[in-house]
Amino acid sequence: MSAAVAERAPGTLRWSSLVPYAVLALWTLPIIVLYVWLFYSSFFPRIEGFRPIGGFTFDNWRFLWDPQSVPQMRNRPAILPLTLNTFIFAATTSAVGLLISSMAGYAFSRLRFKGRRLMLGGVLLLHSFPSVTLLIALFIVLRTLGLYDKFVGVILVQTAFALPFGIWIMKGFFDNVPWDLEMSALVDGAGRFRTWLRIMLPLVKPGLLALAVLLFVEGWNQFLLPFVFMPSGSQQTLSTLVKGILGEGRFVDYGLLTAVGLYYIAPVLILFVLAQDQLMRIYAGGVKG
Amino acid sequence: MSVRVVLEHLTKKFGEVSAVDDLELEMHAGEFVALLGPSGCGKTTTLLMVAGIYRPTSGAITFGDRRVEHLHPKDRGIGMVFQSYALYPHMTVAENIAFPLELRRSIPKAERDRRVREAAALVRVDALLDRRPAQLSGGQQQRVALARALVKRPDILLLDEPLSNLDARLRHEMRGEIKRLQKEIGITSIFVTHDQLEALTMADRVAVMRDGRLQAYATPAELYARPTNRFVAEFIGSPPMNFLDAEVAAKNGSFVARAGELEIPLVRRPAREAPEATVGIRPEHLELGAPGEGDASAEVYIVEPMGREQIVDVQVGGHRLRAIAPPGFRAQIGDRVGLRFAPERIHLFDRASGERIA
Repeated sequence: MSAAVAERAPGTLRWSSLVPYAVLALWTLPIIVLYVWLFYSSFFPRIEGFRPIGGFTFDNWRFLWDPQSVPQMRNRPAILPLTLNTFIFAATTSAVGLLISSMAGYAFSRLRFKGRRLMLGGVLLLHSFPSVTLLIALFIVLRTLGLYDKFVGVILVQTAFALPFGIWIMKGFFDNVPWDLEMSALVDGAGRFRTWLRIMLPLVKPGLLALAVLLFVEGWNQFLLPFVFMPSGSQQTLSTLVKGILGEGRFVDYGLLTAVGLYYIAPVLILFVLAQDQLMRIYAGGVKG
Repeated sequence: MSVRVVLEHLTKKFGEVSAVDDLELEMHAGEFVALLGPSGCGKTTTLLMVAGIYRPTSGAITFGDRRVEHLHPKDRGIGMVFQSYALYPHMTVAENIAFPLELRRSIPKAERDRRVREAAALVRVDALLDRRPAQLSGGQQQRVALARALVKRPDILLLDEPLSNLDARLRHEMRGEIKRLQKEIGITSIFVTHDQLEALTMADRVAVMRDGRLQAYATPAELYARPTNRFVAEFIGSPPMNFLDAEVAAKNGSFVARAGELEIPLVRRPAREAPEATVGIRPEHLELGAPGEGDASAEVYIVEPMGREQIVDVQVGGHRLRAIAPPGFRAQIGDRVGLRFAPERIHLFDRASGERIA
């Protein structure tokens, strides 16, 4: 059996090996159909089921150059500031999350301190904690700190939610770096901080890259936190615009919705395509407890 | 440059287990000392305490006239080569070697570059400075690790199983090279090994350890000629020493060791009365001759030709003994041969404690 597999010339397919492909294709078909639908319905005035009504048009995309003609955008910042806000939100939470995760992950992986096991347990617990249940408590905390309805406040909350996952992932990557390298750096004269910066960080670079992408995407996709904790500000993000289009006015303009939606997810899709090798490693890179 | 190293009452406990127990060792300036023992004997733990990576549970470590057991590794003036070489994979060879210097602000860039090239030339990797560790062979990685350990001109060089990741031919080559380098620089060096051949061939003195305790500390020649106890006798020498349980008895004003019908003449009087003894004799001190010659008659059990010599196992009175015979010696399995013990080379150990008694 295994000999037969080995003998098969590369590139040729057997009928039996088509079965998994067929199953996978069927399985992913609904998602693919959705993306296709999203794409082409953004270029027609109306869609009934899968049938376009009216001719090909760029009209749905006019929010890019003429936002005043779109009623849902009249009380909001223009599309460029909105995009920039979303970018700042995603990039900041990703950068801060990355910094803290890589430091805490190193500490959990390498240092033996009091309460380490307890804190690791806490990290895992928080990772599986549904954030919605914390909304009211967070609201009180942000109000007390004077950070409610402020960009900084939402960034802090988003980063905090991202940390348990980030710390756990980074700990796994640090766990895989041989002790010898660290001992060697210590003997060579480096302190803990320099060892972390010059030896350990470069060696977990695949993990850092993957985590950076994931945290960025999480920030980009985040809707609930900006929506709840930044209701009035000029610093709204794209996700709240999508919600606005869905929820304001008498009827939902699906053409507009698909165009804005496509605009909103395009960076994420591009990022995933570019970084998929790195992202695979987060799951293949080994996460040890 | 090179300093004396003294370990006093050095102890390391992991929980309840003593990895190193009350170790006393003193190394002269410029001496090359091997820590030898089976895995789990505490030799690497000892080395890591000297390096400053493990903190001793108790005891003192002195370099020259400095007490160092409380010092951080970077303040001890040591260079170390790890078993895995521990080269930094993301740095070039030059960056690897320069790393210890990079941490010293007082050394200007030009001086640093000069010393990196000097260290690289010393171990002949100066042509590889732009490569990365993954592009090097095991032997080359080993050399780079040596250069990195030596570049900051440490007082003491530590080597953890430096040869165990090399293939046999390269191991032999590096054995000689490390020894030559150590003598050339004259740096006090400690290396850890489980291979008695490495310890004997490279070190000025060998500390044999077992279960965290020092068993013997002597020159290779002394360890070979007068092992302090049965464990050391068994561990040093290849093929290993033969052991026979025997009774020591007086005979004609002299002493003999009786093991069944075997009677082995003793030239040295046992240090104390110990009728229950173990006789040790190395294969190279057991002479095979024609049937009827020598002290006993034996039957050939197996012959293993090794080229330069032959290893011959013989059976005598229910015991199996191993002997080394010259290449010209001809015998088949089942042949009768004569057996002669070299009486001045017989070792006698107390059977209960294993201590040497003659």
